[in-house]
Amino acid sequence: MRGVAIVGIGHSKFGRRTDVDVAELAFESIKGAVEDSGVDKKEIQNVTLGSAGGWYEEPLPAVLVNEYAGFKDVGTMRVEAACASGSAAVRSAYLSVASGESEVSMAVGVEKMTEVDTLTSVELMGRSGSYLWEFESYGMTFPAYYALYAVSHMNRYGTTEEDMARVAVKAHHYASMNPLAQFQKEITLDKALSSQVVSWPLKLYDACPITDGSAAVILASEEAARRLSDTPIWIKGMGFSSDSANLSKREDYVGLRATVDASRKAYGAAKVGPGDIDVATCHDCFTIAELMAYEDLGLCRKGEGPKMVREGQTEVGGRIPVNVDGGLKAKGHPIGATGVSMMVEVTKQLRGEAGGNRQAPIKKGVGLVHNVGGTGHYCYVTVLSRSR
Amino acid sequence: MPEDASPTLHSRRSLTLRFNIPISKTSRFWEALGQGKFITTKCADCGRLSFPPQADCPNCMSGNSEWVDLGTDAELLTFTHVQVTPTSFVDHDPYVVAIGRLNEGLNVLAWLEGADHTKLKPGAKLRVEIRNDPEGTPYYVFVTA
Repeated sequence: MRGVAIVGIGHSKFGRRTDVDVAELAFESIKGAVEDSGVDKKEIQNVTLGSAGGWYEEPLPAVLVNEYAGFKDVGTMRVEAACASGSAAVRSAYLSVASGESEVSMAVGVEKMTEVDTLTSVELMGRSGSYLWEFESYGMTFPAYYALYAVSHMNRYGTTEEDMARVAVKAHHYASMNPLAQFQKEITLDKALSSQVVSWPLKLYDACPITDGSAAVILASEEAARRLSDTPIWIKGMGFSSDSANLSKREDYVGLRATVDASRKAYGAAKVGPGDIDVATCHDCFTIAELMAYEDLGLCRKGEGPKMVREGQTEVGGRIPVNVDGGLKAKGHPIGATGVSMMVEVTKQLRGEAGGNRQAPIKKGVGLVHNVGGTGHYCYVTVLSRSR
Repeated sequence: MPEDASPTLHSRRSLTLRFNIPISKTSRFWEALGQGKFITTKCADCGRLSFPPQADCPNCMSGNSEWVDLGTDAELLTFTHVQVTPTSFVDHDPYVVAIGRLNEGLNVLAWLEGADHTKLKPGAKLRVEIRNDPEGTPYYVFVTA
Protein backbone atom coordinates (compact mmCIF):
# COMPACT_ATOMS: atom_id res chain seq x y z
CA MET A 1 0.00 0.00 0.00
CA ARG A 2 1.17 3.53 -0.68
CA GLY A 3 2.02 6.30 1.75
CA VAL A 4 -0.77 8.49 3.14
CA ALA A 5 -0.37 11.82 4.92
CA ILE A 6 -2.57 14.20 6.86
CA VAL A 7 -2.48 17.47 4.91
CA GLY A 8 -5.33 19.40 6.50
CA ILE A 9 -6.85 19.66 9.98
CA GLY A 10 -9.97 21.33 11.32
CA HIS A 11 -11.47 21.42 14.83
CA SER A 12 -14.55 23.06 16.29
CA LYS A 13 -14.83 24.56 19.72
CA PHE A 14 -15.85 21.72 22.07
CA GLY A 15 -18.53 22.26 24.69
CA ARG A 16 -22.25 22.63 25.10
CA ARG A 17 -22.96 23.89 21.59
CA THR A 18 -26.64 24.78 21.59
CA ASP A 19 -25.87 27.35 18.88
CA VAL A 20 -25.41 24.79 16.08
CA ASP A 21 -27.04 21.63 14.73
CA VAL A 22 -25.05 18.56 13.73
CA ALA A 23 -24.34 19.68 10.15
CA GLU A 24 -23.42 23.23 11.15
CA LEU A 25 -21.12 21.82 13.81
CA ALA A 26 -19.40 19.43 11.37
CA PHE A 27 -19.05 22.26 8.86
CA GLU A 28 -16.85 24.25 11.26
CA SER A 29 -14.21 21.50 11.12
CA ILE A 30 -14.63 20.69 7.43
CA LYS A 31 -14.10 24.32 6.50
CA GLY A 32 -11.07 24.50 8.78
CA ALA A 33 -9.52 21.38 7.26
CA VAL A 34 -10.14 22.47 3.66
CA GLU A 35 -8.61 25.88 4.35
CA ASP A 36 -5.68 24.40 6.27
CA SER A 37 -4.84 22.03 3.39
CA GLY A 38 -5.44 24.50 0.58
CA VAL A 39 -7.05 21.65 -1.37
CA ASP A 40 -9.69 22.34 -3.98
CA LYS A 41 -12.78 20.85 -2.38
CA LYS A 42 -13.58 19.04 -5.65
CA GLU A 43 -10.44 16.94 -5.22
CA ILE A 44 -11.96 15.24 -2.14
CA GLN A 45 -13.39 11.99 -3.51
CA ASN A 46 -14.38 10.24 -0.31
CA VAL A 47 -15.92 11.54 2.93
CA THR A 48 -16.26 9.18 5.89
CA LEU A 49 -18.18 10.39 8.93
CA GLY A 50 -17.54 9.02 12.40
CA SER A 51 -20.55 9.46 14.68
CA ALA A 52 -22.10 7.14 17.24
CA GLY A 53 -25.44 8.95 17.05
CA GLY A 54 -28.66 8.38 18.95
CA TRP A 55 -28.59 11.66 20.90
CA TYR A 56 -29.47 13.96 18.05
CA GLU A 57 -32.41 14.07 15.67
CA GLU A 58 -30.72 12.91 12.46
CA PRO A 59 -30.25 9.18 11.75
CA LEU A 60 -28.29 9.74 8.48
CA PRO A 61 -25.70 12.34 9.42
CA ALA A 62 -23.20 11.59 6.63
CA VAL A 63 -25.40 12.71 3.75
CA LEU A 64 -26.75 15.61 5.77
CA VAL A 65 -23.26 16.90 6.53
CA ASN A 66 -22.13 16.42 2.90
CA GLU A 67 -25.16 18.29 1.61
CA TYR A 68 -24.58 21.18 4.01
CA ALA A 69 -20.89 21.43 3.11
CA GLY A 70 -21.51 21.10 -0.63
CA PHE A 71 -19.95 17.70 -1.33
CA LYS A 72 -21.65 16.12 -4.35
CA ASP A 73 -21.15 12.62 -5.79
CA VAL A 74 -18.64 11.67 -3.09
CA GLY A 75 -18.36 8.12 -1.81
CA THR A 76 -19.57 8.30 1.77
CA MET A 77 -20.72 6.44 4.86
CA ARG A 78 -21.17 6.88 8.57
CA VAL A 79 -19.02 4.48 10.63
CA GLU A 80 -19.49 3.41 14.24
CA ALA A 81 -16.94 2.07 16.68
CA ALA A 82 -18.46 3.71 19.78
CA CYS A 83 -16.00 6.28 21.19
CA ALA A 84 -13.47 5.17 18.55
CA SER A 85 -15.79 6.04 15.66
CA GLY A 86 -13.47 8.93 14.76
CA SER A 87 -10.48 6.63 14.36
CA ALA A 88 -12.64 4.22 12.39
CA ALA A 89 -13.49 7.09 10.02
CA VAL A 90 -9.81 7.94 9.65
CA ARG A 91 -9.03 4.30 8.98
CA SER A 92 -11.64 4.14 6.22
CA ALA A 93 -10.35 7.34 4.59
CA TYR A 94 -6.77 6.09 5.00
CA LEU A 95 -7.51 2.78 3.28
CA SER A 96 -9.23 4.57 0.40
CA VAL A 97 -6.06 6.55 -0.33
CA ALA A 98 -3.58 3.80 0.57
CA SER A 99 -5.29 1.35 -1.77
CA GLY A 100 -5.18 3.80 -4.68
CA GLU A 101 -8.93 4.21 -4.78
CA SER A 102 -8.70 7.95 -4.14
CA GLU A 103 -5.99 10.62 -4.12
CA VAL A 104 -7.58 12.81 -1.46
CA SER A 105 -10.14 11.78 1.14
CA MET A 106 -11.58 13.25 4.30
CA ALA A 107 -12.54 11.86 7.70
CA VAL A 108 -14.98 13.89 9.78
CA GLY A 109 -15.99 13.14 13.35
CA VAL A 110 -19.00 14.78 14.92
CA GLU A 111 -21.28 14.30 17.90
CA LYS A 112 -24.14 16.39 19.17
CA MET A 113 -24.79 15.02 22.63
CA THR A 114 -26.60 17.78 24.46
CA GLU A 115 -29.91 17.67 22.56
CA VAL A 116 -31.15 15.08 25.07
CA ASP A 117 -31.04 15.46 28.86
CA THR A 118 -28.04 14.22 30.84
CA LEU A 119 -29.65 11.10 32.32
CA THR A 120 -30.84 10.00 28.87
CA SER A 121 -27.21 10.29 27.72
CA VAL A 122 -26.19 8.24 30.76
CA GLU A 123 -28.79 5.65 29.74
CA LEU A 124 -27.66 5.47 26.09
CA MET A 125 -24.03 4.99 27.14
CA GLY A 126 -24.97 2.48 29.84
CA ARG A 127 -26.68 0.32 27.22
CA SER A 128 -23.35 0.10 25.34
CA GLY A 129 -22.31 -3.40 26.21
CA SER A 130 -24.46 -6.52 26.15
CA TYR A 131 -27.87 -4.97 26.82
CA LEU A 132 -29.94 -7.90 28.07
CA TRP A 133 -27.30 -9.17 30.50
CA GLU A 134 -25.81 -5.93 31.77
CA PHE A 135 -28.44 -3.20 31.49
CA GLU A 136 -31.96 -4.65 31.50
CA SER A 137 -31.80 -5.90 35.09
CA TYR A 138 -28.70 -4.16 36.46
CA GLY A 139 -28.71 -0.60 35.09
CA MET A 140 -25.05 -0.33 34.22
CA THR A 141 -23.66 3.09 33.38
CA PHE A 142 -20.52 4.03 31.50
CA PRO A 143 -18.79 5.23 34.69
CA ALA A 144 -19.83 1.95 36.33
CA TYR A 145 -18.06 -0.12 33.66
CA TYR A 146 -14.79 1.77 34.19
CA ALA A 147 -15.28 1.75 37.96
CA LEU A 148 -15.13 -2.06 37.80
CA TYR A 149 -11.65 -1.63 36.31
CA ALA A 150 -10.68 1.06 38.83
CA VAL A 151 -11.56 -1.13 41.84
CA SER A 152 -9.58 -4.03 40.43
CA HIS A 153 -6.55 -1.84 39.59
CA MET A 154 -6.64 -0.31 43.08
CA ASN A 155 -6.82 -3.74 44.66
CA ARG A 156 -4.00 -5.24 42.56
CA TYR A 157 -1.54 -2.34 42.37
CA GLY A 158 -2.40 -0.06 45.28
CA THR A 159 -3.63 2.70 42.96
CA THR A 160 -5.43 5.40 44.95
CA GLU A 161 -8.28 7.82 44.37
CA GLU A 162 -5.64 10.55 44.63
CA ASP A 163 -3.62 9.00 41.77
CA MET A 164 -6.72 9.15 39.59
CA ALA A 165 -7.47 12.73 40.66
CA ARG A 166 -3.97 13.76 39.55
CA VAL A 167 -4.88 12.77 35.99
CA ALA A 168 -7.87 15.13 36.17
CA VAL A 169 -5.74 17.98 37.53
CA LYS A 170 -3.26 17.50 34.66
CA ALA A 171 -6.07 17.41 32.09
CA HIS A 172 -7.64 20.64 33.33
CA HIS A 173 -4.20 22.29 33.47
CA TYR A 174 -3.59 21.70 29.77
CA ALA A 175 -7.22 22.38 28.77
CA SER A 176 -6.81 25.84 30.31
CA MET A 177 -4.20 26.50 27.58
CA ASN A 178 -6.35 25.06 24.77
CA PRO A 179 -8.96 27.57 23.59
CA LEU A 180 -10.94 24.80 21.84
CA ALA A 181 -11.36 22.79 25.06
CA GLN A 182 -14.68 22.54 26.89
CA PHE A 183 -13.17 23.43 30.27
CA GLN A 184 -10.92 26.44 30.55
CA LYS A 185 -10.15 26.41 34.27
CA GLU A 186 -7.53 24.62 36.35
CA ILE A 187 -8.76 22.49 39.25
CA THR A 188 -7.11 21.49 42.51
CA LEU A 189 -6.56 17.97 43.78
CA ASP A 190 -8.97 18.70 46.64
CA LYS A 191 -11.70 19.83 44.27
CA ALA A 192 -11.35 16.63 42.23
CA LEU A 193 -11.29 14.42 45.32
CA SER A 194 -14.29 16.08 46.94
CA SER A 195 -16.52 16.01 43.85
CA GLN A 196 -19.76 14.00 43.74
CA VAL A 197 -19.39 10.22 43.56
CA VAL A 198 -20.84 8.99 40.27
CA SER A 199 -20.02 5.29 40.52
CA TRP A 200 -17.66 4.58 43.38
CA PRO A 201 -14.68 5.02 43.32
CA LEU A 202 -15.17 7.30 40.30
CA LYS A 203 -16.30 10.85 40.95
CA LEU A 204 -17.52 13.65 38.74
CA TYR A 205 -13.97 14.86 38.13
CA ASP A 206 -12.81 11.37 37.17
CA ALA A 207 -15.24 11.45 34.25
CA CYS A 208 -15.17 13.16 30.88
CA PRO A 209 -18.05 15.56 30.28
CA ILE A 210 -20.92 15.27 27.79
CA THR A 211 -19.78 17.30 24.79
CA ASP A 212 -20.77 18.63 21.39
CA GLY A 213 -17.95 18.95 18.90
CA SER A 214 -16.42 18.06 15.57
CA ALA A 215 -13.03 17.53 13.98
CA ALA A 216 -11.84 16.77 10.44
CA VAL A 217 -8.66 15.62 8.70
CA ILE A 218 -7.85 15.55 5.00
CA LEU A 219 -5.68 12.67 3.84
CA ALA A 220 -3.65 12.61 0.65
CA SER A 221 -1.52 10.22 -1.38
CA GLU A 222 2.22 10.86 -1.40
CA GLU A 223 2.03 12.68 -4.72
CA ALA A 224 -0.90 14.86 -3.64
CA ALA A 225 0.62 15.45 -0.20
CA ARG A 226 3.91 16.78 -1.68
CA ARG A 227 1.90 19.19 -3.81
CA LEU A 228 -0.50 20.30 -1.05
CA SER A 229 1.63 20.52 2.07
CA ASP A 230 5.06 21.58 3.32
CA THR A 231 4.44 19.70 6.56
CA PRO A 232 2.63 16.47 5.72
CA ILE A 233 2.18 14.19 8.74
CA TRP A 234 2.38 10.58 7.65
CA ILE A 235 0.24 7.74 8.90
CA LYS A 236 2.95 5.20 9.63
CA GLY A 237 0.83 2.46 11.11
CA MET A 238 -2.67 1.72 12.34
CA GLY A 239 -3.59 -1.20 14.55
CA PHE A 240 -7.04 -2.09 15.74
CA SER A 241 -8.56 -4.73 17.91
CA SER A 242 -11.58 -5.55 20.03
CA ASP A 243 -12.79 -7.40 23.12
CA SER A 244 -15.99 -8.98 24.41
CA ALA A 245 -19.23 -6.97 24.45
CA ASN A 246 -20.16 -8.33 27.88
CA LEU A 247 -17.59 -7.31 30.47
CA SER A 248 -18.09 -10.50 32.42
CA LYS A 249 -16.49 -12.42 29.54
CA ARG A 250 -13.07 -10.93 30.33
CA GLU A 251 -10.15 -12.54 32.14
CA ASP A 252 -9.25 -9.61 34.37
CA TYR A 253 -10.06 -5.96 35.02
CA VAL A 254 -6.71 -4.20 35.35
CA GLY A 255 -6.11 -3.28 31.71
CA LEU A 256 -7.65 -3.29 28.26
CA ARG A 257 -6.65 -6.28 26.18
CA ALA A 258 -7.80 -4.46 23.02
CA THR A 259 -5.26 -1.68 23.71
CA VAL A 260 -2.41 -4.13 24.19
CA ASP A 261 -3.26 -5.90 20.93
CA ALA A 262 -3.97 -2.79 18.83
CA SER A 263 -0.78 -1.06 19.99
CA ARG A 264 1.33 -4.13 19.24
CA LYS A 265 -0.08 -4.15 15.71
CA ALA A 266 0.43 -0.39 15.25
CA TYR A 267 4.02 -0.44 16.54
CA GLY A 268 4.74 -3.37 14.21
CA ALA A 269 3.26 -1.67 11.15
CA ALA A 270 5.12 1.58 11.89
CA LYS A 271 8.33 -0.21 12.94
CA VAL A 272 8.58 1.86 16.12
CA GLY A 273 8.35 1.11 19.84
CA PRO A 274 6.93 3.01 22.81
CA GLY A 275 10.37 4.55 23.38
CA ASP A 276 10.21 6.35 20.02
CA ILE A 277 7.06 8.34 20.84
CA ASP A 278 7.51 12.09 21.42
CA VAL A 279 3.88 12.88 22.27
CA ALA A 280 0.67 10.91 22.67
CA THR A 281 -3.06 11.26 23.07
CA CYS A 282 -4.56 8.49 25.21
CA HIS A 283 -8.20 7.63 25.64
CA ASP A 284 -8.93 9.12 29.07
CA CYS A 285 -12.73 8.92 29.16
CA PHE A 286 -12.10 8.29 32.87
CA THR A 287 -8.96 9.01 34.84
CA ILE A 288 -8.39 5.29 35.47
CA ALA A 289 -8.47 4.76 31.68
CA GLU A 290 -5.45 7.05 31.21
CA LEU A 291 -3.46 5.22 33.89
CA MET A 292 -4.25 1.85 32.32
CA ALA A 293 -3.43 3.22 28.85
CA TYR A 294 0.13 4.17 29.93
CA GLU A 295 0.60 0.54 30.95
CA ASP A 296 -1.23 -1.16 28.09
CA LEU A 297 0.58 0.96 25.46
CA GLY A 298 3.93 -0.01 26.98
CA LEU A 299 4.83 3.52 28.11
CA CYS A 300 5.58 1.94 31.50
CA ARG A 301 5.35 -1.47 33.15
CA LYS A 302 2.02 -2.89 34.30
CA GLY A 303 0.98 -1.30 37.57
CA GLU A 304 3.27 1.73 37.17
CA GLY A 305 0.69 4.03 35.57
CA PRO A 306 0.07 5.90 38.83
CA LYS A 307 3.84 6.45 39.26
CA MET A 308 3.97 8.07 35.81
CA VAL A 309 1.43 10.72 36.76
CA ARG A 310 2.80 11.18 40.31
CA GLU A 311 6.24 11.94 38.85
CA GLY A 312 4.94 14.22 36.10
CA GLN A 313 6.39 11.96 33.41
CA THR A 314 3.42 12.58 31.12
CA GLU A 315 3.53 16.37 31.29
CA VAL A 316 5.38 18.66 28.87
CA GLY A 317 9.01 18.34 29.98
CA GLY A 318 8.43 14.79 31.23
CA ARG A 319 9.48 11.60 29.53
CA ILE A 320 6.41 11.43 27.26
CA PRO A 321 3.74 14.14 27.28
CA VAL A 322 0.23 12.66 27.13
CA ASN A 323 -3.04 14.52 26.53
CA VAL A 324 -1.49 17.96 26.68
CA ASP A 325 -4.59 19.25 24.87
CA GLY A 326 -6.73 18.55 27.96
CA GLY A 327 -7.69 15.02 26.92
CA LEU A 328 -11.21 13.70 26.82
CA LYS A 329 -11.44 14.63 30.50
CA ALA A 330 -11.20 18.40 30.02
CA LYS A 331 -11.06 19.11 26.29
CA GLY A 332 -14.35 17.17 26.13
CA HIS A 333 -15.48 13.92 24.54
CA PRO A 334 -17.93 14.31 21.65
CA ILE A 335 -17.98 10.55 21.03
CA GLY A 336 -17.56 10.33 17.23
CA ALA A 337 -15.33 13.41 17.03
CA THR A 338 -12.78 12.29 19.60
CA GLY A 339 -10.58 10.05 17.43
CA VAL A 340 -10.35 12.71 14.72
CA SER A 341 -9.68 15.38 17.34
CA MET A 342 -6.76 13.26 18.59
CA MET A 343 -5.34 13.09 15.03
CA VAL A 344 -5.68 16.88 14.78
CA GLU A 345 -3.88 17.36 18.09
CA VAL A 346 -0.96 15.04 17.32
CA THR A 347 -0.63 16.61 13.83
CA LYS A 348 -0.43 20.04 15.46
CA GLN A 349 2.17 18.77 17.92
CA LEU A 350 4.32 17.19 15.19
CA ARG A 351 4.06 20.34 13.07
CA GLY A 352 5.15 22.33 16.13
CA GLU A 353 1.93 24.34 16.09
CA ALA A 354 0.43 23.45 19.49
CA GLY A 355 1.62 26.74 20.87
CA GLY A 356 2.84 28.09 24.19
CA ASN A 357 3.44 25.86 27.15
CA ARG A 358 1.56 22.90 25.76
CA GLN A 359 3.88 22.23 22.81
CA ALA A 360 5.80 19.01 23.46
CA PRO A 361 9.46 18.87 22.47
CA ILE A 362 9.60 16.91 19.19
CA LYS A 363 12.78 14.86 18.81
CA LYS A 364 12.11 11.77 16.73
CA GLY A 365 9.07 13.26 15.05
CA VAL A 366 6.75 10.45 16.08
CA GLY A 367 3.36 10.73 17.78
CA LEU A 368 0.74 8.26 18.95
CA VAL A 369 -3.07 8.32 18.93
CA HIS A 370 -4.83 5.84 21.23
CA ASN A 371 -8.61 5.75 20.83
CA VAL A 372 -10.82 3.28 22.71
CA GLY A 373 -14.45 2.51 21.89
CA GLY A 374 -16.74 1.62 24.78
CA THR A 375 -15.06 -0.08 27.72
CA GLY A 376 -12.21 -1.51 25.66
CA HIS A 377 -14.75 -2.97 23.26
CA TYR A 378 -12.88 -1.44 20.34
CA CYS A 379 -9.38 0.00 20.21
CA TYR A 380 -7.56 1.88 17.44
CA VAL A 381 -3.92 2.90 17.77
CA THR A 382 -2.32 5.12 15.11
CA VAL A 383 1.35 6.09 14.75
CA LEU A 384 1.94 9.44 13.03
CA SER A 385 5.31 10.74 11.86
CA ARG A 386 6.96 13.77 10.33
CA SER A 387 8.98 11.50 8.04
CA ARG A 388 7.63 9.36 5.25
CA MET B 1 -19.63 32.00 21.32
CA PRO B 2 -23.19 32.02 22.62
CA GLU B 3 -23.86 29.02 24.83
CA ASP B 4 -27.21 28.02 26.34
CA ALA B 5 -28.59 31.42 25.50
CA SER B 6 -29.05 30.15 21.93
CA PRO B 7 -32.61 29.52 20.77
CA THR B 8 -33.48 25.84 20.26
CA LEU B 9 -36.58 24.17 18.86
CA HIS B 10 -37.92 21.66 21.37
CA SER B 11 -39.10 18.97 18.93
CA ARG B 12 -42.87 18.42 19.02
CA ARG B 13 -42.53 14.75 18.00
CA SER B 14 -41.37 12.55 20.84
CA LEU B 15 -39.99 9.07 20.27
CA THR B 16 -40.28 6.27 22.81
CA LEU B 17 -38.33 3.12 22.05
CA ARG B 18 -39.19 -0.17 23.70
CA PHE B 19 -37.72 -3.31 22.19
CA ASN B 20 -39.20 -6.81 21.87
CA ILE B 21 -36.07 -8.84 22.45
CA PRO B 22 -36.12 -12.40 21.06
CA ILE B 23 -35.25 -14.92 23.79
CA SER B 24 -36.55 -18.14 22.23
CA LYS B 25 -33.11 -19.76 22.29
CA THR B 26 -32.52 -18.98 25.96
CA SER B 27 -36.10 -19.07 27.27
CA ARG B 28 -35.25 -22.20 29.25
CA PHE B 29 -32.85 -20.10 31.33
CA TRP B 30 -35.59 -17.63 32.29
CA GLU B 31 -38.09 -20.41 32.99
CA ALA B 32 -35.60 -22.22 35.22
CA LEU B 33 -34.78 -18.97 36.99
CA GLY B 34 -38.50 -18.59 37.73
CA GLN B 35 -38.38 -22.04 39.36
CA GLY B 36 -35.38 -21.06 41.48
CA LYS B 37 -32.76 -22.82 39.35
CA PHE B 38 -29.58 -21.28 37.94
CA ILE B 39 -28.60 -23.04 34.70
CA THR B 40 -26.62 -22.39 31.56
CA THR B 41 -25.61 -23.95 28.24
CA LYS B 42 -22.86 -26.45 27.57
CA CYS B 43 -21.77 -27.45 24.08
CA ALA B 44 -22.62 -31.13 23.58
CA ASP B 45 -19.76 -31.46 21.08
CA CYS B 46 -16.76 -29.67 22.60
CA GLY B 47 -17.94 -29.26 26.20
CA ARG B 48 -17.57 -25.46 26.33
CA LEU B 49 -19.65 -23.84 29.07
CA SER B 50 -21.08 -20.38 28.35
CA PHE B 51 -22.51 -17.70 30.57
CA PRO B 52 -24.71 -15.94 29.62
CA PRO B 53 -26.21 -19.03 27.98
CA GLN B 54 -26.13 -19.23 24.18
CA ALA B 55 -27.50 -21.82 21.78
CA ASP B 56 -24.52 -21.75 19.42
CA CYS B 57 -21.02 -22.61 20.58
CA PRO B 58 -18.52 -19.74 20.17
CA ASN B 59 -15.68 -22.27 20.35
CA CYS B 60 -16.59 -24.95 17.76
CA MET B 61 -19.71 -23.33 16.25
CA SER B 62 -21.82 -26.39 16.98
CA GLY B 63 -25.54 -25.84 17.51
CA ASN B 64 -25.84 -28.86 19.84
CA SER B 65 -26.10 -27.26 23.25
CA GLU B 66 -27.45 -28.82 26.41
CA TRP B 67 -28.62 -27.23 29.65
CA VAL B 68 -26.61 -27.84 32.82
CA ASP B 69 -27.00 -26.74 36.45
CA LEU B 70 -24.62 -24.11 37.76
CA GLY B 71 -23.33 -23.92 41.31
CA THR B 72 -24.09 -20.73 43.21
CA ASP B 73 -20.74 -20.18 44.97
CA ALA B 74 -18.62 -17.37 43.56
CA GLU B 75 -15.61 -15.19 44.32
CA LEU B 76 -15.83 -11.41 44.01
CA LEU B 77 -13.56 -10.15 41.21
CA THR B 78 -14.58 -6.49 41.19
CA PHE B 79 -17.49 -4.18 41.96
CA THR B 80 -18.78 -0.61 41.94
CA HIS B 81 -21.48 1.36 43.76
CA VAL B 82 -23.65 3.08 41.12
CA GLN B 83 -24.82 6.37 42.62
CA VAL B 84 -25.85 8.27 39.47
CA THR B 85 -28.36 5.94 37.83
CA PRO B 86 -29.72 6.08 34.27
CA THR B 87 -33.17 7.43 33.42
CA SER B 88 -34.90 4.06 33.50
CA PHE B 89 -33.46 3.30 36.99
CA VAL B 90 -34.02 6.79 38.32
CA ASP B 91 -36.37 5.63 41.10
CA HIS B 92 -33.86 3.07 42.37
CA ASP B 93 -31.65 3.54 45.37
CA PRO B 94 -27.94 3.34 44.49
CA TYR B 95 -26.89 -0.25 43.84
CA VAL B 96 -23.71 -2.33 43.96
CA VAL B 97 -22.84 -4.11 40.71
CA ALA B 98 -20.32 -6.93 40.98
CA ILE B 99 -18.55 -9.39 38.74
CA GLY B 100 -18.13 -12.73 40.44
CA ARG B 101 -16.39 -15.88 39.26
CA LEU B 102 -18.33 -19.11 39.73
CA ASN B 103 -16.54 -22.31 40.72
CA GLU B 104 -17.08 -23.44 37.12
CA GLY B 105 -14.77 -20.60 36.04
CA LEU B 106 -17.54 -18.52 34.46
CA ASN B 107 -17.89 -14.83 35.33
CA VAL B 108 -21.30 -13.34 36.13
CA LEU B 109 -22.27 -9.66 36.34
CA ALA B 110 -25.13 -8.89 38.72
CA TRP B 111 -26.19 -6.71 41.63
CA LEU B 112 -24.59 -7.52 44.93
CA GLU B 113 -27.32 -7.04 47.48
CA GLY B 114 -27.05 -6.21 51.16
CA ALA B 115 -23.34 -5.38 51.11
CA ASP B 116 -21.63 -2.21 52.34
CA HIS B 117 -19.43 -1.22 49.40
CA THR B 118 -16.98 0.60 51.66
CA LYS B 119 -16.13 -2.71 53.34
CA LEU B 120 -16.01 -4.94 50.25
CA LYS B 121 -12.78 -6.42 48.90
CA PRO B 122 -12.13 -8.45 45.77
CA GLY B 123 -11.72 -12.06 46.81
CA ALA B 124 -14.80 -12.03 49.06
CA LYS B 125 -17.00 -15.13 48.97
CA LEU B 126 -20.37 -14.65 47.27
CA ARG B 127 -23.47 -16.68 46.55
CA VAL B 128 -25.97 -16.38 43.69
CA GLU B 129 -29.60 -15.95 44.75
CA ILE B 130 -32.73 -15.51 42.66
CA ARG B 131 -35.16 -12.63 43.07
CA ASN B 132 -38.37 -11.47 41.42
CA ASP B 133 -38.91 -7.87 40.43
CA PRO B 134 -42.25 -6.17 41.28
CA GLU B 135 -43.72 -7.38 37.94
CA GLY B 136 -42.73 -10.95 38.80
CA THR B 137 -39.80 -11.18 36.37
CA PRO B 138 -37.03 -13.29 37.90
CA TYR B 139 -33.43 -12.08 38.02
CA TYR B 140 -30.27 -13.25 39.77
CA VAL B 141 -28.18 -11.36 42.30
CA PHE B 142 -25.14 -11.94 44.44
CA VAL B 143 -25.14 -11.84 48.21
CA THR B 144 -22.09 -12.18 50.45
CA ALA B 145 -21.66 -15.77 51.62
